[in-house]
Amino acid sequence: MQINWFLIGIGVTATVVLLFRDWRLTFPALLLNYISLAFFLAEQQFVAPDLILLGQMSTLVLVKLITGVAVTLILTLTALTFSREYGLENLDEFGLSELRRAARTAQRQRASQPFQLGDYVVPFWAGVLALFASTALPWIYAIAPTPAADFAWYWLLLTGVLTIATASDMLKIGLGLLLCASGVDTLYTAVVSTPNASGLNVIPLALLSHVHILLALAIAYLSGLLYGRLKTLELNELYKR
Amino acid sequence: MLYLLLIFFPIAMAASAFVLRKNSGMAISVALGAVITMMLIAAQIPLDDPTRFLGVTLTLNALNRMFMLLFLALAGFAIVGAWHLPHGENFVPTALLMLSEVCAVLLLQNPFITTLLLAVTGLSAVLAIVDLPAGTSSLVGTRAIAAALKYMVLMVLSATLMYIAFVLTDIFRPGELPGRLSLSHFILALLAVSFALRLALIPFHAWLIDLMEHAEPLVVALVITLLNTSSLLVLLLAFQSFPTLLIDNEGPLAVMRIGSLLSAVLGAGLSLGAGSLRRALGYLILYDCGMVFYGLASVSSLGLAGAVFGALNQTLAVLLLLVSLSLLERPDGRPPGVLRRDLLRRWPVAGAGLLAGGLALIGIPPLGGAMSRLLIYQAAAEKGWIELLALLAATLLAGLGLARAAHERLLGPSEDEAAPEPLMLGETELDRPAPRRLAPEPRSAAALTLILLLICLSIGLYPGPLLATIDGAIRELAFIRAL
Repeated sequence: MQINWFLIGIGVTATVVLLFRDWRLTFPALLLNYISLAFFLAEQQFVAPDLILLGQMSTLVLVKLITGVAVTLILTLTALTFSREYGLENLDEFGLSELRRAARTAQRQRASQPFQLGDYVVPFWAGVLALFASTALPWIYAIAPTPAADFAWYWLLLTGVLTIATASDMLKIGLGLLLCASGVDTLYTAVVSTPNASGLNVIPLALLSHVHILLALAIAYLSGLLYGRLKTLELNELYKR
Repeated sequence: MLYLLLIFFPIAMAASAFVLRKNSGMAISVALGAVITMMLIAAQIPLDDPTRFLGVTLTLNALNRMFMLLFLALAGFAIVGAWHLPHGENFVPTALLMLSEVCAVLLLQNPFITTLLLAVTGLSAVLAIVDLPAGTSSLVGTRAIAAALKYMVLMVLSATLMYIAFVLTDIFRPGELPGRLSLSHFILALLAVSFALRLALIPFHAWLIDLMEHAEPLVVALVITLLNTSSLLVLLLAFQSFPTLLIDNEGPLAVMRIGSLLSAVLGAGLSLGAGSLRRALGYLILYDCGMVFYGLASVSSLGLAGAVFGALNQTLAVLLLLVSLSLLERPDGRPPGVLRRDLLRRWPVAGAGLLAGGLALIGIPPLGGAMSRLLIYQAAAEKGWIELLALLAATLLAGLGLARAAHERLLGPSEDEAAPEPLMLGETELDRPAPRRLAPEPRSAAALTLILLLICLSIGLYPGPLLATIDGAIRELAFIRAL
């Protein structure tokens, strides 16, 4: 039996996104996920190769790689600039004091919440559940032309949904949404390129990449707003006040 | 060329309005000019004359043109309303951006593209939800951020489910693969859940109530009128493109009908117990969404005509309701922090607009919703008296909910009339401060409310021309003929 390293890459990177909370780990994992997915699509040859770059590949792969790099860059730049303050010049004294209070609360919370293994229990078991489902569903309800493609899209979609369900901060929710979008992207490319389907069209493919980038921008914008307001990305703080 | 102009011209004008965003008057004028130009372009496009662009078909049928003109007119009204009503710094450019996306949804006949465009409209709306007025000295509310996040997550999930459904329809061949869950059932279930999320049917309604409570009413109006109604038209397109989904799915369609019935009844019931005016109006809108979806799920020419008429009425009534609400919530010159119960006396035009909008939403004659309700009730009667009774009960509850909200906030006695105090020793009339004169409603917003109210009334009194257009468009639908 031949090992599909790109499929393993998709699986492992999505697991890192599901399990870990630190963006320094999850963002590189997201980039690797996009790269693995692009090369997986190239390897499965859903689209005929039309480019010679590191061997024969289709333009589609290049588009997916550019999308992945753009999405990761947007999110990383946002995370790196969280410490900067914007738009304070218009705020009155009440607003400024509220910001100071939020910063103090966030600092206290960070100090009182050390690393706890318990935080990873629910994501871990969610990952196990997703693994069982993604392994079983390609046999129970096959949709894509190959079991590998079926596993890839089921896995991406399920880890995406479970990442959203178990997320405790806004960036994690965004990563879950991006994984869901990747799952749908894989399904579309795999299924619609089959001979008995309508065939891939350039506009939906372009729009899919566009949606990935817009989604990353929306997540970055909301995360920036939340951090600027509460000095934390924790969702429980969002609903507490 | 005209098709592309309708899509790309508002984007260019949105960029201009964004540059001018600090100068609100100028941005509104530019946007209004753009909307009028778009209406002229939309009127010039020949009907049912498809054209191809990059392998995608663009066309405009009678129904979509009617809704496109309606959306443009309503967006124009909302932009005029922004002159005096509170709105964010980027409201005007975002509204133009959403208009461009909605026009693309109505023009493009590819389900994959329309699904992605619906997702993009949701992301654009997020920008408007968390928007603050230019130069504001306050911070964006955490609840507004939470509402935007919830909206974004649910809209992306809805688009994901919709996209999977359309991918499956692409390979669906009736009668294939026996022995597992029918693909047509699965596709219909995915479509039902995804559109229930977009149309805010109970239990997928949380985003709408949050938006009602924490976002500016003008933004909520755009989300409900433009985005929800265009989603409904996409569902019609899906039924039209894949009629086989409806033919062997009697059971799942019954489930969809019952789901929408429950949504209407629960929405109306919750409006009775709502703690605030905004929440009560949100639940009334939920009730109306349930009624419209019921008409669609009945898959009969009567029900569909009722649903389309209801969607049209909903766009007008919701804009009227929310413009009126925005006027009612303005600082009125009296001491703040007091829950006023005399809003109809204080703001007569806005109060009347709110009442009329609520009545139109419930379908009380002679307002616009009456005809749509009549058609939906007829469609329900064809399915059985239990469904008809449930719909009538929902309407009764919604009426009671509106009556309660009106009693608590609108119809109370005037709170301005202070008893004249006798003159004190040595005091003359001239020593007393001048009697307080409260400012009237802003003229442009009051005129806008009155125009919307008159439109609702005239549609209710003369529904014939609209009904004929809708009926003609419904009869053209292939799945109605097939059924």
